[in-house]
Amino acid sequence: MSRFLYLLRDALVNLRRNALVVSGAVLAVLVSMSLALGALMVNELVRVNLIQWQEGTHVIVFLKDEQAGVTRASQRALRAEIERWPQVESTEFYDKSDALEEFRQIFAEQPALLEEIDPALLPASIRIRLHDIADYRQVEFQLAGEAPVRRVRSLGERIDELSAVSNVLNGLGLVASLVLGVSAVVLIANTIRMAIYARRDEVSIMKLVGAGNWFIRVPFVLEGLIEGVVGAGLAVLAVWLASDRLASVEQSVEIVRLSLPTDFFLRWGVLFVLFGAAAGVLGSLLGLRRFLRV
Amino acid sequence: MIRMQEVTKVYDGGIVAARDVSLDIQKSEFVFLVGPSGSGKSTLIRLLLREEDITKGKIWVAGKDITAIPAWKVPYLRRSIGTVFQDFKLLPNKTVAENVAFALEVLGRPPEVVRTQTTQVLELVGLPGKADRYPRQLSGGEQQRVSIARAFVNRPPILLADEPTGNLDPATSVGIMRLLDRINRTGTTVVMATHDHAIVDAMRRRVVQLERGRIIRDQAAGRYDSSVVQVGD
Repeated sequence: MSRFLYLLRDALVNLRRNALVVSGAVLAVLVSMSLALGALMVNELVRVNLIQWQEGTHVIVFLKDEQAGVTRASQRALRAEIERWPQVESTEFYDKSDALEEFRQIFAEQPALLEEIDPALLPASIRIRLHDIADYRQVEFQLAGEAPVRRVRSLGERIDELSAVSNVLNGLGLVASLVLGVSAVVLIANTIRMAIYARRDEVSIMKLVGAGNWFIRVPFVLEGLIEGVVGAGLAVLAVWLASDRLASVEQSVEIVRLSLPTDFFLRWGVLFVLFGAAAGVLGSLLGLRRFLRV
Repeated sequence: MIRMQEVTKVYDGGIVAARDVSLDIQKSEFVFLVGPSGSGKSTLIRLLLREEDITKGKIWVAGKDITAIPAWKVPYLRRSIGTVFQDFKLLPNKTVAENVAFALEVLGRPPEVVRTQTTQVLELVGLPGKADRYPRQLSGGEQQRVSIARAFVNRPPILLADEPTGNLDPATSVGIMRLLDRINRTGTTVVMATHDHAIVDAMRRRVVQLERGRIIRDQAAGRYDSSVVQVGD
């Protein structure tokens, strides 16, 4: 036990004293993992948006509720009025329970999120399908004057082209995440291997003093493990913060959803940190292999 | 303590670094290996540490045939042999005390033993105030003292020194030789490869002279230069 503590302390001391090389390795992990996770995030956003776009809704009118002094009767009155407008082909009324159902569908893969959501917070809405989607600005303008309206979201023109593009994006995103993920692991392993190569004299001195292979290996492996975990952890944090920043402009963009649930980051975060750890350990073991032959 | 029997070492490419070398070294002897560069001094030291595999012959260290031990036991062999080199071979990222302590950590000694023995041996080599320095902050002579402290801290029966004064000025070299002499007096067998004439002549110990991989002279209380001795004889 005291031996392991010595080796752990040795690893930590080495991390501190080799700060430059260590930060290089951590940066390599950080950059490559951020790219991979970023690609996954874009991919997920495309998927979430696709579901909405394919509903065939062109304009969504979110409605104020009773708490804001808007009764069900005035909500229904608004819908009736909209249906009389010439540009409108059809409308659908989504009450709070419909909104919850839709939410469930979009986030079907994040059960933790579904448990947490308060159905009362999801607003009722009117979904409008237009004869000609190009009229959406006009409809928006007319809606702006209506009292029960909380917020209007329009999907704009060329929605069909958009969804075709989205399909391609989705496929590309998956491929990109996969390629970036694999290259992240290779890059991390290689960076740590190079760092060990730079210290091969140290390894030979340790052998000369009579250190066994595991005695030499353990601190290096712990160093690689720590570098991998720290780099991956920072990458998850960085992408999460970036996504948070992105979500904060969601309201002004209106057409697309830009926020992803916490659950998405927790799930992938754990996986990425494990990948980082594995790559760090692998890199150390590979890097040491040729110097440990007696 | 060390016995070589018809040891031959041929490197890849056909260079013969040792040719039928037979040598017996007793416990607590002090032996100089002398000869020009490339005569095979360093090769013999590397063979004793199993850094190289032998081509032909046998080597016994402390009664064990080290040419026959499996690779995983080589660290145990090295723990019983202290080594000192021309280029010091200190770990650059460890302090003086940590470098010395490393030889004890390898043996799994408890922390308090590591601490007291490290302190003691640093006093022995005359560096008590430099424990927390890094090797790069020390002079060549001081670094060599650290490497001797590391070689001696676990009291090995054998100490091998390959040109330990090769990078040092004459005055500093004298100090290093005094230290090795002192260690030898504690009963440690010392084998030192050198081509420092002044040191060999001053110490008057057993001299083994090599030339092109062969032993051409083995003389008790010898000098570096054989012709001088022959005149004396």
